[in-house]
Amino acid sequence: MLEELTAGFPILSCILFLPVVGAIVLWFMDDEDTVRSSALTIALVELALSVFVLLRFIPESAAMQFAERVQWIPALGISYHLAVDGISVLFVGLTAFLTVLVVVYSWDTIRHQVKLYMMCLLALETTTMGVFVSLDLILFFVFWELMLIPSYFMIKLWGGGAERHYAALKFVIYTLLGSVFMLVGIALLDINYHQWASLHHSDHAYSFDLLELITVPIPISQQILIFWLMFLGFAFKAPVFPFHTWLPDALLEGPIGMAVVLAGLKLGTFGFIRFSIPLLPDASKSDTVVMIVMVLGLCAILYGAWMALVQADFRRLLAYSSVSHLGFVVVGLFALNYQGLQGSLLTMINLGFSTAGLFFIAGFLYSRQQTTQLAAFGGMAKQVPLLATFFLIIGLASIGLPGTNGFVGEFLILLGAFEAKWWVGSIAVLGVIFGAAYFLWYYERSMLGPLGSSVRSTMGDLQLREMVIAVSLSIMILWIGLYPSPFLRIMNGSVQALVDRLHHEKTAALDNDMTERR
Amino acid sequence: MSFSLNLSFSDLLLLLPEIFLTCWLCVVITVDFVSPRLPKERLAYLSVGGLLATLGCLAWFDMNQVSGTLFGNMFVLDRMAIFFKIFILGSTILVILASIEYVDRFTLFRGEYYALVVMSALGMMFMASANDLLSVFVSLEFSTLGFYILVSYLRDDLASNEAGLKFFILGVFAAGLFAYGISLVYGETGKLVFSDMASAPATPGLIIGFLLIFAALGFKIGAVPFHSWIPDTYHGAPTPVTAFLSIAPKGAALAILLRIFIVALGTFKPTWIYLLVAVSIVSMTYGNIVAIAQRNIKRLLAYSGIAQIGNVLIGLAAGTKMGNDAILFYLLAYLFANIGAFAVVIAVSQAIGRDEIEDYRGLGRRSPFLAFSMLLFLLSLAGVPPLAGFIGKLYIFIAAIKEGLYTLITVGLINIVISMYYYLIVVKQMYINEPIDPSPISISGPMKTVIYVGLAGTLAIGIYPQPFTDWVVAATLMFANFVTPAATVMPPSLLIGG
Repeated sequence: MLEELTAGFPILSCILFLPVVGAIVLWFMDDEDTVRSSALTIALVELALSVFVLLRFIPESAAMQFAERVQWIPALGISYHLAVDGISVLFVGLTAFLTVLVVVYSWDTIRHQVKLYMMCLLALETTTMGVFVSLDLILFFVFWELMLIPSYFMIKLWGGGAERHYAALKFVIYTLLGSVFMLVGIALLDINYHQWASLHHSDHAYSFDLLELITVPIPISQQILIFWLMFLGFAFKAPVFPFHTWLPDALLEGPIGMAVVLAGLKLGTFGFIRFSIPLLPDASKSDTVVMIVMVLGLCAILYGAWMALVQADFRRLLAYSSVSHLGFVVVGLFALNYQGLQGSLLTMINLGFSTAGLFFIAGFLYSRQQTTQLAAFGGMAKQVPLLATFFLIIGLASIGLPGTNGFVGEFLILLGAFEAKWWVGSIAVLGVIFGAAYFLWYYERSMLGPLGSSVRSTMGDLQLREMVIAVSLSIMILWIGLYPSPFLRIMNGSVQALVDRLHHEKTAALDNDMTERR
Repeated sequence: MSFSLNLSFSDLLLLLPEIFLTCWLCVVITVDFVSPRLPKERLAYLSVGGLLATLGCLAWFDMNQVSGTLFGNMFVLDRMAIFFKIFILGSTILVILASIEYVDRFTLFRGEYYALVVMSALGMMFMASANDLLSVFVSLEFSTLGFYILVSYLRDDLASNEAGLKFFILGVFAAGLFAYGISLVYGETGKLVFSDMASAPATPGLIIGFLLIFAALGFKIGAVPFHSWIPDTYHGAPTPVTAFLSIAPKGAALAILLRIFIVALGTFKPTWIYLLVAVSIVSMTYGNIVAIAQRNIKRLLAYSGIAQIGNVLIGLAAGTKMGNDAILFYLLAYLFANIGAFAVVIAVSQAIGRDEIEDYRGLGRRSPFLAFSMLLFLLSLAGVPPLAGFIGKLYIFIAAIKEGLYTLITVGLINIVISMYYYLIVVKQMYINEPIDPSPISISGPMKTVIYVGLAGTLAIGIYPQPFTDWVVAATLMFANFVTPAATVMPPSLLIGG
């Protein structure tokens, strides 16, 4: 019954446009409380739709599901093509989940221009969703670029730091710089398709469609050029070391809500696994590329962890720990084997819970002390036991303690890395140790020991809204940590197809397999 | 050269829009003389009425594919000419609507203002149809004559007078270059009509002649190094005239450039491509970098216009059918965004009386509508998706990358990043800074119309560009024969959007 009702229903379009339509509706509201509750309703409906997609998603399948496709600009071969597969569907759920939490978090922490804030947040959700569900590269690029606008305003208008103007501009210019290179790469893919299509008299002269582009062979020299162009786009956004310098500024100066989205949703590395690796398999596995990217990944792991160790500001620490974690993800991706890819994908999801969770914790600390500097804390566990507990749970997930989600992902990545290149694996392991070091050291100095001199004795523990955020994150962390198989099953099919494509033997089978189905 | 003036009635049909508009122009002037007490805004609506009727006539031509040539090939009406005429008329209508309030600032000759605008439009319509060097020269001077007066219309304003004088002197100089170029080309080839020149051998005289002509047209479109008049003229001229100047003559001159480079010089593409690449790179880079330092919004838009022309020239450098489509498409996107941005500038200057960027402080609070419109227009100019400007830039870049112009593309893309910086400066003033004087800004009805049209165009072209791409692809069809590689001709299925 439900099957028939929903067949052909454009659910992805609904997910995509519900937030932005909601944002427009918010414009017409005046009362701040109405705005807040409407934004929450919209975010919850969005979450419900995403959960519905997750439930109806057929696991262990490489197929593109819930596909929608219409021509958009036929003269240039651009189409409006949405679909999810095992790689992207979890991100849809994660985005919706985090947005709900950000709305809840912002309920009383955002005091001025609430309406505009919620509108920006919802617009940001639409653009992020768009990045995850677009299969047409131009459509993808549209959302990728559009994301800058709400982000710019969020950092600038609701950022706490004095340097927020600088941070916002730096963020926009850096990301834009990366994406213009990516655009060249995308155009080259299109031209390559065009040349191939005119040789074979195909009826589509131009195409930006991922599923059509992967059917066309690309000469290896061309692949490497395109790979690096797209690499720049994704690396600036991710950010991969050494393109990360905007991240600490943006995360420190921007509002917590923005930081959660920026650090929690790994758009850049998603770009690698969604576009770079399947489109350019030969370039991705060529020795030079793997070597350079791996070395960058390892540098990121060690440099990020090293920098995190010496940060006195918790948000800066988190920014560098993000850089370090992204190093893991990159290493896992370019191990180019089943475990590595699966682990990276799972880690990207995990970071959505743990890094974003730690940013919420930073937010909780900030609303109590008006700063996240270490000097303002010390021995707070006695004052705020609940906060300290959740801080520990989420933090341990972030360093990958067995039993939490972080362990599963990092373990798979290390497994993949050892299998691909033993020395990469052994260096990456160091990152795990450093990770434990910087987190635990910071935790010890801020939460344990004697009460800090500037800690107010009237400080309250977690409130209801904060509890909701912390508990729901902890549930997800423990769920993935203890019983990851539902999540792994969802991604298995697509990851397997990707591995097959990389290792050529079954390329033909993949092409048939990746064709759409509803 | 044999020349006959045997005009049949059906020949005159081709000239119908121009004839009609000429008559209408006379009507506007007469009405202004006969009833001096008539409120001047009535004259504006009268002019708009005539322009709309002409527009309707052209739309009818376009639908029925009316085409032909007149006066021994001097005047051509093809779909590209129709496209540019619609482009020019559209911008003229919007400019007139945006001027209605502003005209009150003129101390004298308010009625003649509208007549002069229509006259310039008429001249530019002839430019769009000009098919030989003589008619190009005559129509170019005809349209510029109106502009000389319009630029210095603020009689008591020193800046306006300076602008007018600069524009006049440099304009006349460009006209001189043009005439000299024509004489050289005619001397070498004995031909004036573009299509007859296609097989001429490249003699030094011919090359110099064409370079001179290119310089004169470069002056019109404001490409570096022929741009020196632009900032001061844009700054000093009455803002609606600046808006007009920044759009319509560029379109008309590009129509001529397209005909010269593709039709007359199509065989020399390997040579002129270097010229265009160089001019394009210099225009983009110079325009964008100098724009960063501007404090006045009109000057900022002037330099951004120079940079935009650099982008357009990328399409011309591609020299393919697709490149030409991209130019036309880009111009459409530019029309809506630029006229919209200038409309906001006019509305703000009506309220504040100044055009400095710092006057835009807190515009987001004072007038959310104006600020939001300006945001969209600037983002479209910068090329942010899904607005019109993005699709336009994409179209041009794809056309160029297909021809392997990688250096040009790289420079173009880096320039997008640079341009984003100064557009964001304006955005920052509007949204981040607090207003000094928080009183709301009121907007008149016609001005709102212009801004709405600009918004509608910017969004529609960005979100659903298919009808527009179909239109521009059809408009440049006749170039298909002149463009060298056969592979670049679109298969028929694409033309009907299949």
